[in-house]
Amino acid sequence: MVSKFLRVNTTTGEVKFEEVPEKYLALGGRALTSQLVFDEVPPTCDPLGPYNKLVIAPGLLSGTNAPSSGRLSVGGKSPLTGGIKEANAGGIASQKLANLGIKAIILEGKPAGSDWYLLKVTPAGAELLPANDLAGKGTYEVTAVCRERYGNKVAVITIGPAGEMLMLAAGVTNNDSEGNSSRYAGRGGLGAVMGSKKIKAIVVDSPTTFDAPVKEPERFKAAARKFTQILQNHPVTGQGLPSYGTNVLMNIINEAGALPTRNFRFGRFDKASEVSGEKLAEVAVARGGKATHTCHPGCVMRCSNVYPMPDGKVCAPIEYETAWSFGPNLEIGDLDVIAKLNYICNDVGLDTIETGCTLGVLMEAGVIPFGDGEAAIKALEEVAKGTPLGRIIGSGSANAGRVYGVTRVPAVKGQGIPAYDPRACKGNGVTYATTPMGADHTAGYAVTANILKVGGYVDPLKPESQVELSRNLQIATAAVDSTGLCLFVAFAVLDNPEGLPTIVEMINAQYGLNLTPDDALNLGKQVLKLEREFNFKAGFTSADDRLPEFFSLEELPPHNVVFDVKEEELDQVFNF
Amino acid sequence: MRLEVRVFSGLEKYIPGARFGRSIEVERPEGITVAELVDSLGIPRSQVFTVLVNGRHAAMDAVLQPGDRVSLFPPVGGG
Repeated sequence: MVSKFLRVNTTTGEVKFEEVPEKYLALGGRALTSQLVFDEVPPTCDPLGPYNKLVIAPGLLSGTNAPSSGRLSVGGKSPLTGGIKEANAGGIASQKLANLGIKAIILEGKPAGSDWYLLKVTPAGAELLPANDLAGKGTYEVTAVCRERYGNKVAVITIGPAGEMLMLAAGVTNNDSEGNSSRYAGRGGLGAVMGSKKIKAIVVDSPTTFDAPVKEPERFKAAARKFTQILQNHPVTGQGLPSYGTNVLMNIINEAGALPTRNFRFGRFDKASEVSGEKLAEVAVARGGKATHTCHPGCVMRCSNVYPMPDGKVCAPIEYETAWSFGPNLEIGDLDVIAKLNYICNDVGLDTIETGCTLGVLMEAGVIPFGDGEAAIKALEEVAKGTPLGRIIGSGSANAGRVYGVTRVPAVKGQGIPAYDPRACKGNGVTYATTPMGADHTAGYAVTANILKVGGYVDPLKPESQVELSRNLQIATAAVDSTGLCLFVAFAVLDNPEGLPTIVEMINAQYGLNLTPDDALNLGKQVLKLEREFNFKAGFTSADDRLPEFFSLEELPPHNVVFDVKEEELDQVFNF
Repeated sequence: MRLEVRVFSGLEKYIPGARFGRSIEVERPEGITVAELVDSLGIPRSQVFTVLVNGRHAAMDAVLQPGDRVSLFPPVGGG
């Protein structure tokens, strides 16, 4: 099977398969989306105009037996940040695309009319179908309708009403094996880009999940088995994540005094344990849900969960960042309220981190009171209606701050800051400030060495060594994000010298290559350089690589620290 | 001296009546180390992966001070 690009011109309705040019053959995931965006999208274009493109790509190892390798990259120019974006999701679409031999789907152009379309991809080919009947519907319903219409094994990549209305915090979702449309490429407003192309959904129908072509099957099998053992033998990927999922972080980040509370005013929340992974597991199991769950077949870490809500619906999963954004960030100590806010975001099609940050700004402005879960739910329900308040909520924290005259806005490059306060987890502060993505914890997750004591230890409260930590993590992350492996493999890889060579061995066996671990790191560097150059051409300067002022002015209790990594040092992150 | 202990993510099973996140007040002799505290609580040392004392990382041989807030974790991660 020859791998191909599926290019959809939404201006003309033309759908065609293309041979993959040589320069893209050894790229996947983020490396591929960022390279294609760099090569094909003018950096100064309007993100919602005809020159932007939405690129959807499985990782290099996706669709094989490599453990935890089913991550999907979605790229384009972000309408939220104005810079390049790669948003990364779990779910089942990535493996299916890879099994159909599709290296990337490229949505380009912009239709003149108001009709909506669905892109259907099967082993027989691809076609655009009318989808006006799906317009205006939430993602759960769209996914259910498509599974009924095209078979319950299909993957459905879709946007909600927020994406249709071109809201800047709209995400692109796809579903897990049970049909929950909750696996979001959430960040940066790529749902609005998909909406601007008038594509409501992409249905991917593949009869296989693990049969992407592998050049040297025996060699690959041995490497994949070894990598599974590496994951299972590490305390975090083998025990921690499989027990309580990502929300197990709530308590340790709280105890470390780095849990942003009341719109980043405090570092601890007195009700943190009430919204923690331990509590979530207790409630989920008592109600017949699941404390652990896989977001895609073949994951050995199983960090997801299934949380039954009091109204009979199910929120699967509640991740740590979401529990934080709607919990401590808003001073809400009730998991049922968090689940409801999470579910609404999944359904209407919004990024939960951005939406939590935006609600925090609205609470700061006094539009709704801190701690008032019912008021937060009521406000969030405005989004689907497209009311002025709903559109403000769907347009991100930076915009909400401008509209309501709030200066305590936790955002970098227009994107909301996630669940680790940069004053008490300074390595992450460096990442938030400098990553080309806008504030993004996954881009260089220094929580590892700062708080979790994985991959060494760097004191989270001191400015020393944070730049080097963030730099190395950003490089490694750009490489991992290109493989289709879940970023959480990094917990094991950072502590095991066999980790990276084993990943490279899997790639070599699959593609018949002779890459070295240094080549993998060089790929990470190359991706970051491309992304930086795109942003530079789009108008970004080093002034954009800064945290909001209040982080250096206001001390964060309980450690009473400010963000004090020097600006000159921040400018050294990409000196490679 | 009085110490404020919190256990998380499964470690609570070693202490009767303990609940994750809820403070446990204990009296211990002055000069006690983290390791000695862990032993006295009946938690196997091998199960304790991270120790925070007043929100800062501490080693097993760190000597505790009166009133310290001690938080004990098994391996955790996410993001």
